[in-house]
Amino acid sequence: MAQTTKVREGEIWAVGGGKGGTGKTFITSSVGTYLAKKGKNVVLVDMDIGGANLHSFFGISRPQKSLTSFFEMGASLSDLVVKTELDNISLISGDVHSIASDKITFSQKLKLFRQIMKLNAQNVIIDLGAGSHYNTLDTFLIADRMIVVLVPEVIAIENMYHFIKNSLFRKVKKTLKEYGFKEIVQHIWDRRQSYGINNIKELIDYLKDSFSYIGTILDHELAAFKIHLVLNMVRNNNDILLGASIKSVMMKYLGVPIQYSGYIEYNDAVWKSVRERKPFMLNYLATGCAKEIEVLVDNIVKGREVSLPGGY
Amino acid sequence: MPKDELKKYYDMLELPPDAPLRDIHNSFMRLKKIYSGDSIVLAPLGEEFSEKKRKRVLEQIEEAHLKLLEAKKDAPSRTAPLFSDGREPEDGPEMDKIGDGPYTGPSLRKIREKAGVELNEISKELKLRMELLKSLEDEKYEALPEAIYLKVHLKNYASFLGLDPVRVTEEYLRRYQAWKGKTGPAEK
Ligand SMILES: Nc1ncnc2c1ncn2[C@@H]1O[C@H](COP(=O)(O)OP(=O)(O)OP(=O)(O)O)[C@@H](O)[C@H]1O
Ligand SMILES: [Mg+2]
Repeated sequence: MAQTTKVREGEIWAVGGGKGGTGKTFITSSVGTYLAKKGKNVVLVDMDIGGANLHSFFGISRPQKSLTSFFEMGASLSDLVVKTELDNISLISGDVHSIASDKITFSQKLKLFRQIMKLNAQNVIIDLGAGSHYNTLDTFLIADRMIVVLVPEVIAIENMYHFIKNSLFRKVKKTLKEYGFKEIVQHIWDRRQSYGINNIKELIDYLKDSFSYIGTILDHELAAFKIHLVLNMVRNNNDILLGASIKSVMMKYLGVPIQYSGYIEYNDAVWKSVRERKPFMLNYLATGCAKEIEVLVDNIVKGREVSLPGGY
Repeated sequence: MPKDELKKYYDMLELPPDAPLRDIHNSFMRLKKIYSGDSIVLAPLGEEFSEKKRKRVLEQIEEAHLKLLEAKKDAPSRTAPLFSDGREPEDGPEMDKIGDGPYTGPSLRKIREKAGVELNEISKELKLRMELLKSLEDEKYEALPEAIYLKVHLKNYASFLGLDPVRVTEEYLRRYQAWKGKTGPAEK
């Protein structure tokens, strides 16, 4: 992909993680709401094409505008921003039925990214769909802050590892392509057995050891590859501590720096208000999760770790 | 130990440099649990990462733990007080006194408590009964095993706390033997 230069002051955050139903959209909407409350000008972008429901978290049942116009009529993204009932926060709906997310062309994708980066907002937050489709990963990678949402269960952990490994692989591939080494990553990966490479970490180590020039590039470019981990729907201290274990494994096995930024308790008020199509965000301060959302956002902004219970 | 080597060990235990002994201990226990068997955070990576890798990580964690305990013991006053946990420096001399022995049951307990180590953690880690450990710290000699076994337990206990196992064993056993000489028939 061509190098995209930023012409904005704001930050792009992306919320992903692989597994469906972990609370990505809930986190996107409540994180956005808190930032807006703090006075930031926020635009949320629903990139869950085909499964878009971000608008319903704001009590909007049928958004008048959506990305459909972007894909079909070439409308400009900034014209598709829809206001919410809250101050400082608006959204772009991904409610698109005419096009499947894997049918998005390469040039549409580039155009979309360019326009996302030009959105007039201090904070753009992108809600990604489930899965590890390369379009999802590429969207994840344009963000300044990459946030993964996890729930404390094995499948979610498995999907998240998959999601992060593939993001990293794509990041390495794209980076080296930008520097003119188009084929090398895939070439080595396809022959990984004969190189004795078993995983992405070993691939990166191999590249760094074999080509010092590439090593310099990767050290430089991967420095920004940092994941913010959010554990959602936690019910006890063990659930909370799981985040610390995952952080450890990601660092030791994948070499991926990761920040355990926060956790959100399981709280019936969340799904109830969504089901009843009440704009949860309007009164979210009344629920138990609000404090945790605030801590999460502050940690992400400051690059801080969440503090864990029980002296860890 | 050179600074960057030390840092490597702190990194391994996922701690900032100069973390207090209590954190070293907690981190070690936590990581050991993750990399000891099939924890649910490791299992999903199973195929791409071999058993060998897991064992290697476990070894590195254990090595880091030992080295850091040693380093803390070697340099009690140069870096931070032996069992620093952010207390005021006035605590220093008192703690040095405890650290200087002679080691007795109660002084060992004091050191352990200062380090923020729970007895049941030691019990789990060293696979020793709680009662035995309590008796050891209470110097309830009649409840303790024969000297040859006691020696092994003391050594493990001392290394766990980052103390000199030889000195601890010697000094503790001296009192124990004195008691034995007074009460029962001498060991042959
Ligand atoms: N902390 C929580 N406590 C209770 N319910 C929650 C919590 N977080 C999310 N939910 C509920 O779980 C469901 C899934 O949440 P959400 O739609 O945000 O997940 P998602 O990851 O965006 O799903 P998808 O992958 O389908 O896009 C919703 O009904 C939501 O209200
Ligand atoms: Mg969603």
